Amino acid sequence: MAAFRLVGLHKRFGEHTAVDHADLTVAAGSFYGLVGPNGAGKTTVLSMAVGLQWPDEGRASVHGVDVWKEPLRARRLMGVLPDGLAMPERLTGRELLTSLGQLHGLDAAEAARRAGELLAVMELDGSAERTLVVDYSTGMRKKIGLATALLHGPKLLVLDEPFEAVDPVSAATIKQILKRFVAGGGSVLISSHVMALVEQLCDTVGVMAKGRVVAEGPLDEVRGGRSLEETFVDLVGVEIGGSEGLSWLVS
Amino acid sequence: MVGVLIRMKLAVLRNTATGGKMAWVALGGTAGLCLAIANIVLAFFDFAHPRMLMDLLAVTFALWALGWMAGPAFAGEPPLNGQHFHRQPIPRGTLALGLLASAMVAVTTAVTLLAFTSLIVLAARLNLGAVVVAVPATILLLLLVVLLSRVVMLLFGALARSRFGGVVTATVTAAMIALASFSWIVFIGIYLLLDHGFPPGLSMLLRSLPSSWGLLSVEAAGRGDRWWTVGPLAALAVLDVVLFLVWRRLLGPRRPARAVVRGSSAQRAAPRGWAARSDLGVLYLKEMRTWWRDPLRTQNIVLPAAFSVITALLPLMVDFTGFFPFVGVATALMGAATCANLYGQDGTALWMTLMLPGKEKADVRARQLAWLTVFGPMTLLMTAAGSALHGDLFLLPWALAANLAALGGGAGLLIWISVMDLVPGPDPHKSKNSPLDHGDVTGQSFLMLLLTAVAVLPALGVALAGHLLDRSPLLWASVPVGLLVGAACHVWFGDLAARRLREKGPGLLQLMRSGKRQAVADAPPTAPAPSAFETMGVKSRFLMWGSMAVGVLALFPQGLVPLGVKLSGSTDRVWFLALYMPDPWQWPVIAGMILIGLASFGGMTAVYLAASRKTKENAASRKAKKEKPSTA
Repeated sequence: MAAFRLVGLHKRFGEHTAVDHADLTVAAGSFYGLVGPNGAGKTTVLSMAVGLQWPDEGRASVHGVDVWKEPLRARRLMGVLPDGLAMPERLTGRELLTSLGQLHGLDAAEAARRAGELLAVMELDGSAERTLVVDYSTGMRKKIGLATALLHGPKLLVLDEPFEAVDPVSAATIKQILKRFVAGGGSVLISSHVMALVEQLCDTVGVMAKGRVVAEGPLDEVRGGRSLEETFVDLVGVEIGGSEGLSWLVS
Repeated sequence: MVGVLIRMKLAVLRNTATGGKMAWVALGGTAGLCLAIANIVLAFFDFAHPRMLMDLLAVTFALWALGWMAGPAFAGEPPLNGQHFHRQPIPRGTLALGLLASAMVAVTTAVTLLAFTSLIVLAARLNLGAVVVAVPATILLLLLVVLLSRVVMLLFGALARSRFGGVVTATVTAAMIALASFSWIVFIGIYLLLDHGFPPGLSMLLRSLPSSWGLLSVEAAGRGDRWWTVGPLAALAVLDVVLFLVWRRLLGPRRPARAVVRGSSAQRAAPRGWAARSDLGVLYLKEMRTWWRDPLRTQNIVLPAAFSVITALLPLMVDFTGFFPFVGVATALMGAATCANLYGQDGTALWMTLMLPGKEKADVRARQLAWLTVFGPMTLLMTAAGSALHGDLFLLPWALAANLAALGGGAGLLIWISVMDLVPGPDPHKSKNSPLDHGDVTGQSFLMLLLTAVAVLPALGVALAGHLLDRSPLLWASVPVGLLVGAACHVWFGDLAARRLREKGPGLLQLMRSGKRQAVADAPPTAPAPSAFETMGVKSRFLMWGSMAVGVLALFPQGLVPLGVKLSGSTDRVWFLALYMPDPWQWPVIAGMILIGLASFGGMTAVYLAASRKTKENAASRKAKKEKPSTA
């Protein structure tokens, strides 16, 4: 059974079709990278898939559990990191994680233990112990977001742009944690527009353009002997701009 | 540069002109227009006391200035501000000039300018020289209030980043709102003093305010006093320039320095004891920590309390302490009004609530309880202290009953309004250095004030009945009635809010993400069609709000109020058209005005219903279209 299956997800905003009947399958135990240019619909499709946005049509299921019909069961199975959304900002990382753990039904001691370990791994304890989330840097925000996604021990992680604007040290930490998660039998779906990163981490890729999934499959199959970037440019069907006009730029 | 910024401002106004927003602009514009016209009419009046007219105009100008200074606390940052441009290589002076010019393009500015033309009216009654002085004085006065508003906004913005600054900002803002909105107390005083004029001290103080300097010039020009003509006008010009320079200086990039609030240590972070026993406890602890740590919340607490205390102190001018027992009620009412954007303030953090299905009720209750914890003991204490200071327990049952009803009603309504009429603003982490940069909650605050006041009415009704029938037990029965109504509101509206959060959560999140309502497409297939307010065309919208404006004007100020005036037997005509008619015509004109008013409201309803029918038809045909391919 697939860890995550999106069938015919469709979303329109007024006249603009953001996601056009997208299908996507994340096999259990795989590290899936969803790539696409800005505005391709990655964030919208992921938001719909995890239940944060209503689809006009289509459905999504986690290990066979429908996200919209059985939200509670589905959400126990997945950990989610949306891109750039706020959190309860006036809490410290530990306050946030322990509260969230208890809301997930963990007992107080277990929640505290997991929060402690996660904060230590993410290097958010020590001098950052009493810093409120509102004062976190971008990298710290991504890390605490990842920690909230991992806290309840999900089987699937859905992470929207987990590496965007993250410093190399934090990025390395996040990569390490994700690799351990997959090695332990979990499945990961990340979206990104950094091709090199996806090539380095993922075994499966999906390519989105203009709201559609235009290619999906094992990494080597999709890129077919070329670099992912070259394949991507072909698939998305764009011409690389930047060589015409701008004669005034450096004269 | 100036032209570019004005065009940008117009583009922003055009792009943000949604149905709901236009409604408030129309309503506010109409109200402002009424005030402005009243201001001009005032300048036509003759008073027994020679200085009276001048003093009255000075009061109105000071009130307009106060309104401009207090406005940003509700309306948030102006649509174009220095922050948007500080990375561009534009000289700050040019930028300030451009922003000032763009600030002039607004309904509020137009209405204020109209009100200030009363200065020209006054001058026209004096002589030609005075008119020549009045024109630049009017413009300088308008510049003064706009610049004051911008400078005060930036200074408050800088202060409001810390909790202490929040207290200062809130207190000063509260004083300004109290003065501006309870100026009718001043007017009562004026009415009493109509024949004697203002006390010389007060008159002197009023005339020394910068907003009165234009008046001084015009008056002096009227009597041919050259020095007093030039002096105040020049001083006003200099003040405008100084304010402009201060503003230009403040426009630069904001210094990030701000008092950082620290959280608890590792040992005390986790919810424990009572807090760990239930979801409600965990969420309540989170909410209380937010109340304690967020400078914006500090403002939300201090503003209502300061407003009420200052309002109660104002009538001390006439040795009246009857407001003291009601300080608690007023605080609860204002507290409900200023805190009604709880979910909006948290921004997109709502996603975490959505990811925990089934906890919506606990989330709503925790927020209600936290608000009650903040405002309950404080307002009850204020009621007790106010009653004690007033020294007469006669008003205690009224105050206590109203206080309990306002607390319960407020706790219920504010959470309901916060999901029904959510005002999206920037996420907290994006606005941490500019806490005043929130969504425009003016409409929401007024709505809350009104609704909570309605919740208080039953208790006051019982008290009134007890008072009129002279039955002490009935009078005191208002207290349990207030408690009961409050509790019912708390429970019922809380439940409604939780249900809406559960059903419409993703829609609310989308609203906060995009900052605007998505028409049509964002609703799930089963959801009801979007309201016609959001989908109707520009022409219908114009027609609808236009009819409403005419309806309000005709029905209330020109219909019902003169009706009341006539019934009361007064002979004051003020600006009521009907009362200027020959006697036999007065009743028909009043009836006509009421008819016009009702007809306009009827027209407005008709336009709305037509638009709403069209929306539903559109939605139905879209649904049919969508279903067709699947059945084929």
